[in-house]
Amino acid sequence: MLKIQTSGLAEVEQAIKQLLPPCQIKCPIDEDIQRTNVLISMLPEDEATAKPLIMQISDYLYEKNPFFNICGYICGLCELECNYKNQGGAIRRRLLKRFLSDYYTDFLKDKEEFKVPKERENVAVIGGGPGGLMCAYALSKKGYKVSIFESSDRLGGALWLIPQYRLPETVLKTTVDNLVRIAGIDVRYNAKVGEGRLTIDRLRNDGYRAIFLAKGTPYPRILTFDGQTVPGQDLAGVIYGHTLLFEVSHGNINPGYFKGKKLIVIGGGNVAFDAARTARRLGGEVTMVCLENEDKSTRDGIPADEAEIRGAWEEGINIIYSRGVQQIVGEQGQFKGITCPKCTSVFDDRGFNPKFDCTDCIDLQGDSLIITVGQAPDRAFLQREGLLNEQGRMVVDPFTLQSLKKGYVFIGGDVRRTGFMIEAMKEGLMAADSIERFLRGLDMREGRKRDYEAFGIPRRKSYEPETEVSWVPPEQRLYFQPFEKGLTLKEARAEAKRCLTCGPCLSCKACISMGFEKSLYAVEVDEEKCSGCGHCVFTCNYDSAHLKEANGKILSTTDMFKCKSCGMCVTACPSQARKLVDDDTAQRIEKALSIL
Amino acid sequence: MPTYEPKVVCFSCKFSWGYLGDQEELSRRIKNWIPIICTGKVDTIHILNAYKQGADGVLILGCPEGHCHYQDGNFEMRKRVHLLYKVLEDYGIERERLQLSLSLDPDGKTMPMLVKQMSDSIRALGPLKNGGVQSEKTVEAGR
Repeated sequence: MLKIQTSGLAEVEQAIKQLLPPCQIKCPIDEDIQRTNVLISMLPEDEATAKPLIMQISDYLYEKNPFFNICGYICGLCELECNYKNQGGAIRRRLLKRFLSDYYTDFLKDKEEFKVPKERENVAVIGGGPGGLMCAYALSKKGYKVSIFESSDRLGGALWLIPQYRLPETVLKTTVDNLVRIAGIDVRYNAKVGEGRLTIDRLRNDGYRAIFLAKGTPYPRILTFDGQTVPGQDLAGVIYGHTLLFEVSHGNINPGYFKGKKLIVIGGGNVAFDAARTARRLGGEVTMVCLENEDKSTRDGIPADEAEIRGAWEEGINIIYSRGVQQIVGEQGQFKGITCPKCTSVFDDRGFNPKFDCTDCIDLQGDSLIITVGQAPDRAFLQREGLLNEQGRMVVDPFTLQSLKKGYVFIGGDVRRTGFMIEAMKEGLMAADSIERFLRGLDMREGRKRDYEAFGIPRRKSYEPETEVSWVPPEQRLYFQPFEKGLTLKEARAEAKRCLTCGPCLSCKACISMGFEKSLYAVEVDEEKCSGCGHCVFTCNYDSAHLKEANGKILSTTDMFKCKSCGMCVTACPSQARKLVDDDTAQRIEKALSIL
Repeated sequence: MPTYEPKVVCFSCKFSWGYLGDQEELSRRIKNWIPIICTGKVDTIHILNAYKQGADGVLILGCPEGHCHYQDGNFEMRKRVHLLYKVLEDYGIERERLQLSLSLDPDGKTMPMLVKQMSDSIRALGPLKNGGVQSEKTVEAGR
């Protein structure tokens, strides 16, 4: 019976330069993508037999990434770098994780707690979003007593703003609620740090030896034009996308809230699309206006994901590109419309610096205006806590995330720099590492910098196209139900099988964890026998076998970083000059034949 | 006179054949079973040794087309087998004595049946004489 043996995580050897598959380099938390792809591809066809193995793979992923099932709905950064993307389509890693999530999420409430004795110092985490939770998770596993101070009555932070048609509430709630139980993290709800007497200094005095600040960005950004706030944002009928999503997530907005209304949404990012498609589902007729242009391959291209743009277009949302908002027009305190000059460029050498042609203006009318142009942290709080410098900037060492104003405070996630969930999680992990070094008196920087080199695509005879993703047709998209169909077991296996295992064996070891090989064999070339013919070079699909000149001879050599220990070159060598060290295949064959 | 039962050696790839089944049980049901990490590793010398050591037939079970874990290992094996057929012909070893099947059977349920099928198909040929080794004179005379 196939049983996956894993002793902790696949250890990656300490090296200054390291080869990894490009997907794992892109993944901010270096998930073991390759190994788990191989494991999924080996699942049996029968669902009942597959289930225990699916649980094993999920348990393994959960150790490093307790949010993996959420990733299955909203991440997929790795796919952007997949070597297969130019050969038929990136491996649909996000959907593979969603496949696992479909089984694992329900199980989470029954998952046993990690029995780690908490004998180390008290650490406070401010903010129960993905950044804070990840930091707390990592530190708890190392034995620290972590308390999360969450200002609201629910964990999850900005993840709650993601509409339910992208991330169902049950998946989010089950994940975050069980995470704290499984890792043994203490959570204080409605604990608003920064209000009243609950300050960072107070936490310090209460015995928390280190603090991770991950409060996120609770406020929407105000609309500006040419550096000035655009007046009229307080008119009736003007709201911020951030606020709309917040209210929807609390169930405060009735279905049909925008029925019969014309809405204009300002913004071109994913959050703007979340707000627009939410408003659409609440019955509104929606037009989006953004600074950026339609060409995603340019710097000025619309930043939202292609899938979002496609979804919005299918749902009947109109998008107007390359327009800014110079004026918000109101009548008797009620929103009426906006004036939009042409945006000729968004970014220049200095960064975000939009330029406009005000002779080319259009007017748009609507019943409601939704502004989604970004989020902002609670600057007043940061100021009061003494974490900003004289220029009003947050001063944090970007490598260690340590505050340069208060050495026991570490800052990460959206509050430091807006990003994806997975980036906040990565900063949570970085902070956990820093906090441990800080509390144990270790060097803050040693051994942390890793230089990675991406591995190229292995050669093969044929490449296969990706599995088709099916969406429920727009007219059938019921309210906020997810419309993307997940993969079946058969599809998941086939998709995972497509993975080319670009990465080096050291970063994978799937074959060892399945018991197929006992170790990764080194390749040895007998220099006396090697004739330099180059057959091995031709046979190796991984660009590992090469010819080199040595002592006036041309000899073959193997780059062990790229070698897969498959043995193809050994069999291909006409001079039998190659062998796999410690490989007992030849002996096993001999033994089997001798008893004939 | 005991009935002749052909001896079939079965090489199979670990990635597609029998990895979900009980390995001990499969070893009992499939005599002379050699699981390997990839059929691309099966060298011609292993196949010839099999005949030399007394096998009447060699069955190679590889991964489906396009699904080799090491990209093209099954293709390499197919090339090898194809070329080996020519050589075996010259030495009077019938084609039927070397068979390959490229498919997926994680439970290994069809493996004993495939071995039996092969066995049945070569029974009429009788045992392989001398392990396939023939002197030059015999080869010349056979031409």
